[in-house]
Amino acid sequence: MLEIKDLVTEYGSVKALNGISLVAHEGKITTVIGANGAGKSTLLRTISALEHPRSGSITWKNKSIVGLSPEKIVRLGIAHVPEGHAVISQLSVEENIEMGALFRMRSNKADVRLAIQEIYQLFPRLEERKKQLAGSLSGGERQMLAISRALVSRPSLLLLDEPSLGLAPLVVEQIIQTVNDLCRNTGLTVLLVEQNANTALGVADHGILLSLGTVAADLPAAQMKADVALRAAYLGY
Amino acid sequence: MDIFLSAIFAGTSRGAIYALAALGLVLVWRGAGVVNFAQMGQAMFSTYIASTLIAQNYSYWVAFVVALVSGGLLGALVDLLVMRPLNRKRSSSALDSPAMRSTIPVIASLGILGVLQAAAGMIWAAEERGFPTPVNSLGLVINGKIMPFTAFDLFVIGIVFVTLVATTYFFKGTGMGLAMRASALNPEVARLSGIRIGFVRTLSWVISGVASSLAGLLVTPSANLSPYTLDLILIIGFTAAVVGGLDSLLGSVIGGFALGLLVSFVNVYDAPEDIFLAILIVLLTVLIIRPQGILGSKEVRRV
Amino acid sequence: MSKASSYGRKNLVISILFTALVFFLSIKLDPYNQGQLSVALMFFIGILSIVLLTGASGQISLGQGALMAVGGFAAALGILNLGLSIWFAIALAVFAALLAGLLLGIAAARLSGPYLAGTTLVIALAIPSLATRFESVFGGDVGLTIDFGNPPAWLTSLMGEVGYEQWQLLATLPFATLALFFTSNILNSRTGRSWRALRDNEVAASLAGMKISETKIFVFVISSGFAGLAGVLYGLRGIVGPSVYPISLSLLLLTGAVLGGIRSILGALIGALLVVFLPDLIEWASGSFSPSEQIANYLPAMISSILLILTVVLNPGGIAHGLHHKKSHH
Ligand SMILES: Nc1ncnc2c1ncn2[C@@H]1O[C@H](COP(=O)(O)OP(=O)(O)O)[C@@H](O)[C@H]1O
Ligand SMILES: [Mg+2]
Repeated sequence: MLEIKDLVTEYGSVKALNGISLVAHEGKITTVIGANGAGKSTLLRTISALEHPRSGSITWKNKSIVGLSPEKIVRLGIAHVPEGHAVISQLSVEENIEMGALFRMRSNKADVRLAIQEIYQLFPRLEERKKQLAGSLSGGERQMLAISRALVSRPSLLLLDEPSLGLAPLVVEQIIQTVNDLCRNTGLTVLLVEQNANTALGVADHGILLSLGTVAADLPAAQMKADVALRAAYLGY
Repeated sequence: MDIFLSAIFAGTSRGAIYALAALGLVLVWRGAGVVNFAQMGQAMFSTYIASTLIAQNYSYWVAFVVALVSGGLLGALVDLLVMRPLNRKRSSSALDSPAMRSTIPVIASLGILGVLQAAAGMIWAAEERGFPTPVNSLGLVINGKIMPFTAFDLFVIGIVFVTLVATTYFFKGTGMGLAMRASALNPEVARLSGIRIGFVRTLSWVISGVASSLAGLLVTPSANLSPYTLDLILIIGFTAAVVGGLDSLLGSVIGGFALGLLVSFVNVYDAPEDIFLAILIVLLTVLIIRPQGILGSKEVRRV
Repeated sequence: MSKASSYGRKNLVISILFTALVFFLSIKLDPYNQGQLSVALMFFIGILSIVLLTGASGQISLGQGALMAVGGFAAALGILNLGLSIWFAIALAVFAALLAGLLLGIAAARLSGPYLAGTTLVIALAIPSLATRFESVFGGDVGLTIDFGNPPAWLTSLMGEVGYEQWQLLATLPFATLALFFTSNILNSRTGRSWRALRDNEVAASLAGMKISETKIFVFVISSGFAGLAGVLYGLRGIVGPSVYPISLSLLLLTGAVLGGIRSILGALIGALLVVFLPDLIEWASGSFSPSEQIANYLPAMISSILLILTVVLNPGGIAHGLHHKKSHH
């Protein structure tokens, strides 16, 4: 279980997170929605230690992870797929995936092999293109690659930042479904950040609505999806 | 014909040295995203250490190994004392802007060059010293004429070849090499993948330090040792790296040999004073016609 | 009163005060320090060329010494072959450097960061080597001899006896003032703001309709003019030749610019004074330690290099950044 209490993160004088508290339960999809600039990315970046919180606590499996480095946090089983199809375009598809497993290559080579095999089964398109540079992939393929890079570390918590950004609805559907299947079949915990609230709430168990760095609503996903007044107030539709 | 042949030979042996210098530059560029203008200063310093050992009657090979080790250590020091604090500070610095981001490490490396040269001057004084070669340096004889090509030159070319193969394998064929490329290309994604980019960067400074000190050891027999002699190698090495493609190991070696031949031909058929003009013309031509260099990839060039 | 004219008036006042202060010093100092101060003013002009280029527009150059050489040689040729007076020779020098800056800018506009640094470094080596190549024209390794000449009669009749160093300082002063006035005006103008926009975000500047290449070339031209002016004054001390404009001169100017504060005019002045007087200062300070000659020779280089590194790592804005937070051109 990931538990966050009173988290505050600032960029200079801008308070991007202003006292956030939330829980992501094991084996569930928790989605964080909210308008542009609400602080969703900052939340994920603070969890994976790309940003340092000013105050508040983050505990993962009952241990505080505040103050650890991003490298360390990956080793604790938390994998972050940052915003914007974050792959390294000058490296090949194969290398991008391998990169995510380098840290456990020496200790567990056989499992890394297996993990890569599983990823290719999940996304056969990536196997076909494994020698190509990541920069030559389509947007959807790049997002799959970014997720693969995270999955190959065999995380127990996956932080996904707007996987649907700039993708065609069909591709979005496919990616979200894959994440959903993973969660249901392997017990992966998912914290899914989305602007695309409908899609996200469709698969999620729980919904958190962020507004200007604070939690505006914290409800079961189905209930949040049905709350028209809430959506009108915070998302504008 | 003999003149032509001898120009080719002289150019090839010079080229080998330039290739090593260029390789050292490319290694740090690919591993840490910095063009290190202090590189030949580091090489000069470790060559002085070797020269001191030899003067105290240690064997060439002991001195050689000590110089390589100290070259690597110097590389690590440069990273730990200067580049790492610089990276940490830069995001909040008053000078942070995209245009300055790649410029500030350049200025820092010039400062390091100054420190190393002044330190060498203080410790070893400014008078030039000679430096021995490990194998004989008698000229090769073709058609009864002695060519400017010796067993030592062959040794140097061998070392360039071995270094090229080893570093290429390291980058392409090992996990650490992949980690290094990833760290330089996209530090954030690399860290999120669990790569310890601090360690990886330091390692690339160490490797490049070793390669540069190799260049220093091998060039000094023909150039004499003083705090400033290797500056020219740096400049030619930089040009070689840009001509070959700043992110390509093979390219930098090709660039190194190409410049060796260029310098040699200008020397033989024109006049030594024209060398820098010729280098400038080649550099500008390449940057204008093919900015990514002969083998460089377009995307990596951060212009 | 509009904001622009208030800036203009303030710049005028500062320039007059600056002139008065240096003039006062020119009477008080001994000949050695008059000479040193005049070199500091020349470096001030040279460093302003870096403030404009690197500080304001974000392009680095390690080749300002080469542009100084262009100015120096143009003036020397004008004086020796055409019999120009030093004033016309100085104008010719600036013009030649502007032209060289145009050529350099056209090539450099496509480059940035380490590429630009390395290319300008090669230029810094290549240009002075031309002097050796065309020995009959440029005087080879030795170079060409020119100087400030004798102080004009009206000055001696006004001030009494004027020594060579004092004349050198007084002749340099108006150009330093001019450079100061021009730089502060251009940095506070729309042009200066557009340069900073280019430096801070090239893409945004281009989307806002700025012609990136033209702007970069323009900055190069202006900056080169300053370098050329610094170069001719520096050469007028006695000799114009490759040994007067070595690559270490370019690096010294860059060091001064960074130490003082690469985005500030005050920083340029502080940096120039620092690099010129540092050796004297060190000699004075180390007097009681009396280090061996070998160490003493390299002490200034060592200390300025260490200061350079410390500045870049700990205080990238330079000394001036600490002194005048609000006024510096961020
Ligand atoms: N690197 C940064 N520097 C300064 N402010 C930032 C930075 N990143 C984000 N912000 C600000 O923090 C707030 C939250 O941003 P973000 O977390 O990216 O929101 P979201 O992902 O919900 O769109 C915004 O006001 C944004 O402008
Ligand atoms: Mg976001």
